[in-house]
Amino acid sequence: MERIPILRMGQFLLVTIQVDMHDRLALQLQDDLTEKISECSSRGVLIDISTLEIVDSFIGRMLANIAAMARVLDAETVVVGMQPAVAITLVELGMSLSGVRTALNVETGMELLYELRGDFHSEMGG
Amino acid sequence: MKSAKQETVPIASSSDVVLARQKVRQWAIEMKFTLVDQTKLVTAASELARNALEHGKGGQMVIEQVENSIKSGLKLVFEDRGPGISDLDAALRDGYTTGGGMGLGLGGSKRLVNEFQIESEPGKGTRVTVVRWK
Amino acid sequence: MESLLQAVVQTNSRVAIIDITGVPTVDTLVAQHLLKTITAARLMGADCIISGVRPQIAQTIVHLGIDLAGVITKAKLSDAFALALQRSGQVVTKVNGGNGAGKRTLLRREE
Repeated sequence: MERIPILRMGQFLLVTIQVDMHDRLALQLQDDLTEKISECSSRGVLIDISTLEIVDSFIGRMLANIAAMARVLDAETVVVGMQPAVAITLVELGMSLSGVRTALNVETGMELLYELRGDFHSEMGG
Repeated sequence: MKSAKQETVPIASSSDVVLARQKVRQWAIEMKFTLVDQTKLVTAASELARNALEHGKGGQMVIEQVENSIKSGLKLVFEDRGPGISDLDAALRDGYTTGGGMGLGLGGSKRLVNEFQIESEPGKGTRVTVVRWK
Repeated sequence: MESLLQAVVQTNSRVAIIDITGVPTVDTLVAQHLLKTITAARLMGADCIISGVRPQIAQTIVHLGIDLAGVITKAKLSDAFALALQRSGQVVTKVNGGNGAGKRTLLRREE
């Protein structure tokens, strides 16, 4: 069954959504992500939606759910690259995704993740 | 290039919802809608197609190019033979509900289009007609 | 709205300052539009600061019961600019020219 790949980058997970997802695929991603966060004790998740041309209420809720579930598992989520047309439409739909952190692109998103949950080596040594 | 001014898309599964989006996108591009208008139209189609599937137990979407004296536009009609909606006012009100409810689908879609019409009767199914003008 | 959001993408900006000094009145429609723009920008990863808020506009906003919770406003454009710089970890400092050529200002990222 097709699945959206989740890459591990050290203490963070990276997901790039490039396909027009049908609802089951979106739900599968939610499941897979929470599993992987737990399995890898990840501190953060970066979701790249820069090529997504449509984010409807279902996908919007998926993003909000992922952020909420990740938080319960002690991981931060950053969604990056939302296209202007998509942002305008989501706002008109009535979704503000207030519980989801966002950044312009993968680079700034990673910076934010490091800021929020970066290396804790010194903490370990102390 | 489409010569017929109308196309029917059956909605029977979640992949049909994706197909519905893609068809509407194609039509909107051909009619040269702006990117934001395309996105609004396709998103509305996604919401309404999903409603027809989830709440209406399946149905169909008809895409049609429309004209009036001054402009042209795209009309989408979503029809299902599901249980129908008993309280239309409540359904149109914004409210995210978990499980079973229509959440933002209807109320939100209304804001994404220029014209919105809904006919529904318990036991008789639902028809939603929307138009976006260029 | 679109042009602001496009500009955010093209310039990779994390902060957008919306100056409304030239706006004579703010009614519910204008306020709603502003709020939508701010929400859309936030969804894309950029924060907005509204500047140029005149006392009359502040009164109207309160009278209309518009909730600007979470939106930062500054009366002067210069204050908004300073805050934007601060948020991106940058500071404007003065540097003396070599041959007594006078003062120069340059932007420097805070380490």
